[in-house]
Amino acid sequence: MERKHFLNFLIIFMFIGLIVGLTNLDLVNGRKFRKQSDSNCIRLISQSGARGNILDRNGEIIVNNIISYDLMVLPQDIERIDQILGKISRILGTSVKELKDSFKKNFISVSVPVTVASNIDLKKAVVLGEIKSEEPGIIVTPKPLRNYPYGALGCHIIGYVNQIDRWRLTKLEDYGYKTKDIVGFGGVEERYDYYLRQEEGGLSVEVNHRGKFMRVLGFEAPKNGKDVQLTIDLSIQKIAENALSGKKGSVVVMDPRTGEVLAMTNYPNFDPGVFVSGRHSQVAGLFNNPGSPLINRAIASSYPPASIFKIVDSCAGLELKKVNTATSFLCQGSTMVGSRQFKCWDTHGPQDIYHALANSCDVYFYKTGLLVGPQTIHDYALKLGLGKSTSFELPYETSGFIPSPLWRKLNKFKSWYDGDTANLSIGQGDCLVTPLQAANLITPFANGGYLVNPYVVKAVGGVELSPKKRKNINLNFRKNTIEVVAKGLRKAITDQKGTAHVLSSLPVSIAGKTGTAQVPRGSTHAWFTGFFPYDKPKYVICVFLENGGPGHAAVVCARKIIEDMCLQGLVE
Amino acid sequence: MRNSFFIILILALIISISGVLSIYSSTYQKEGVWQDIHMRQLLWIAIGLVCFFLASGFNYRKLWDANYFIYGTALFLLLFVFILGIVRLGAQRWLKFAWFNFQPSEFAKLAIIIFLARYFSKKSVNYTSLLSGKFGIFRGLILPFIFVAVPMFLIIEQPDLGSGLMLLFVFVCLLYLTEVRLKYIFTLLGCLVLPLPFFWHFLREYQKQRLLVFLNPNIDPLGAGYTIIQSKIAIGSGGFFGRGWLSGSQSQLYFLPESHTDFIFATFSEQWGFAGSFLLILLYFLIIRQGFIIAQRTQDTFGRLLAYGISLLLAIQVFINIAMNMGLAPVVGLPLPLMSYGGSSVLVTFIALGILVNIDRTRNVF
Repeated sequence: MERKHFLNFLIIFMFIGLIVGLTNLDLVNGRKFRKQSDSNCIRLISQSGARGNILDRNGEIIVNNIISYDLMVLPQDIERIDQILGKISRILGTSVKELKDSFKKNFISVSVPVTVASNIDLKKAVVLGEIKSEEPGIIVTPKPLRNYPYGALGCHIIGYVNQIDRWRLTKLEDYGYKTKDIVGFGGVEERYDYYLRQEEGGLSVEVNHRGKFMRVLGFEAPKNGKDVQLTIDLSIQKIAENALSGKKGSVVVMDPRTGEVLAMTNYPNFDPGVFVSGRHSQVAGLFNNPGSPLINRAIASSYPPASIFKIVDSCAGLELKKVNTATSFLCQGSTMVGSRQFKCWDTHGPQDIYHALANSCDVYFYKTGLLVGPQTIHDYALKLGLGKSTSFELPYETSGFIPSPLWRKLNKFKSWYDGDTANLSIGQGDCLVTPLQAANLITPFANGGYLVNPYVVKAVGGVELSPKKRKNINLNFRKNTIEVVAKGLRKAITDQKGTAHVLSSLPVSIAGKTGTAQVPRGSTHAWFTGFFPYDKPKYVICVFLENGGPGHAAVVCARKIIEDMCLQGLVE
Repeated sequence: MRNSFFIILILALIISISGVLSIYSSTYQKEGVWQDIHMRQLLWIAIGLVCFFLASGFNYRKLWDANYFIYGTALFLLLFVFILGIVRLGAQRWLKFAWFNFQPSEFAKLAIIIFLARYFSKKSVNYTSLLSGKFGIFRGLILPFIFVAVPMFLIIEQPDLGSGLMLLFVFVCLLYLTEVRLKYIFTLLGCLVLPLPFFWHFLREYQKQRLLVFLNPNIDPLGAGYTIIQSKIAIGSGGFFGRGWLSGSQSQLYFLPESHTDFIFATFSEQWGFAGSFLLILLYFLIIRQGFIIAQRTQDTFGRLLAYGISLLLAIQVFINIAMNMGLAPVVGLPLPLMSYGGSSVLVTFIALGILVNIDRTRNVF
């Protein structure tokens, strides 16, 4: 071949190569490059809306938001950054080193503003805004922050907000959650996060290679989250917290007619604001505290119910007609079950069901329990809402536990003896109940035989949820049963020797049951669960004190709560 | 007879006008001196056209006589720029004249081609056969290589590796086209390729970076690889029909550096897409093809070699520049002839095209 022809082909070959390259870029990968081109020059400047407020039943604010300011710096002139940070540090009063550290930590790229300080108050934000004229690289953006005007009040119902963790992120990614999102943990904040959470809006702007703003391409207004209204009554909640403070335990106040939870408090508690201010040591302190302040004891921990379980025995006995109002057992301080002696906490003499409930006579219920049988007691306990979740809406509810012979056989490979029946009858042994279940247990006697479904959220975004709640369940107990038990519970207060006699001096008529739970270690748990006013019950209350001593301690605490409620005119 | 004149003139005009459009679109949002940069380019094209007409009327045989003078001038200018040139973008490539900066390496490219064409077209005394076929290794290879190597060294030292290597490439092609024995050419190639690893140490840091980045642009996406990545994005985002004139975000928002000089092809391609770019490459091909046709029908050896040299000069610059825009060649500072902003390049290209036309016009004199 002649040399010039070879060269000719070479040139043609080179140009075909160029066309192939062009085809590859434009036609094969064109879409990919178009996307990259857009992401090059389109920036999203997000503006976050505010998370929904949490209100009490009367619309009073329990949790809202305040505006705080974030300071961002555009890292365009990287050489001058030290100078700019110097100026900022003089205004904020933080050290330059601190600012530099956060600058380094948050730096993404030259065109993305870097947050150097957050949660700046209004005054400093204004001053910073003024020096913006000389330092155009400074950006001050408002950011809504969770605000808790009552501090720790209702913290277990509310929960707290924090940066999303990995576990939640993997579950919620498909619902539009992103890393570094602020989401709710525990309580209403977690369960209703989807409604509470704000929708981010923002500007989409075109920028040049320096990140300099060119023009606005679009704007979407941020949307605030929906408000969640609770059934909590702020004044009752305050009274309950006040009465409980310093004592480990929990208080639940409920409306027996509807199941609305009016107050629910636990101690130890925590200030959800700690998570907002983000001081690491304080947050770590909460998690490491042996008192577990983050746990909502009212639903998330269960305890032996002790004597309040006697209500279950009474119902079972009366319903099956194993006992009636005329039945009377002699309490001599103890009784023999099989070959073992079971003690009563006192010597009560002859007891009928009214006195047995009022005095919390163990012997009467040992005998009733043995008459009824363990499986029936178990069944009635479940009927009254024990041993299973109340389907309460807050997360991490535990179901508690009621043992039965069958369970024992299957899981422990042991037989059930009469002694176990006796133990179950007084709510000891393997029996476990949450304070909310204890409150639930007594409601049928306050509302004429209906088991309620406790709930705490009244409305979301102005839409009432109550009609969507499950209806109260008719227990189909005989009217007589309800009346007899209620009368017995009333006698616990009215009787001179009644276990809750201290409540008799209050201007309101109360009925209730105390409990003193034996625990393997430490002092006993104290229970009181009751309802008032007796004639037309409006409130069900459950006071539980963990290692709080005898049941009397719980009664004293309940007395303080009811007294305060009367003083504030809430009962009438 | 005269149609090669019109074909080349029209092709060159279309290309340079689309160049002006691209320069305008890539700079119209910038402020100050950038505003009228397309006007300056228009002015250069006008001057270039005048030179084109002059060169097409100027008998190229006179270059035969003047070739030592031209070569000497080029060498002098290169030496001059080596000592006194102004430094821009980290390279010492320009000479400052009254109101413009002149880039002697552009002129040197043409001068060396004229010199080589003259050198290889010496004939024996009886005027019948070329001497080059009988050249020994010294006269066929070493001597011309020295003549090329001196200006090439000066250009590479500026530093302008792209232009220097391009000269070498043109040299090899011309060697191949004249009747110099193949084994000499392979000897030369061998001598050049084998010590490459050794030359690596003589490269400047940024040149090494560019070569490494060519192999993988992602090793340094914000530094040396940035231009390649942005250029590929610009070309690719054009799609089939492009984003329209004045609406390419890559070039208009300055994500693409050098969008009006070395990377003007990417600017053009972003706006006119596959269709436009395909046409542009076709236009370049036609103009180069025209050069080859002229070379093939020219009887005069000097004219033929000169025409080949000019066509190759164009072809290699176009190929390397577009390939580098597409990320298929390492980034070297080579302009796209007729399109890229720059007076020297436009001027020299038009003169070269004028010479080409003149070769075609005067070939029948002999």
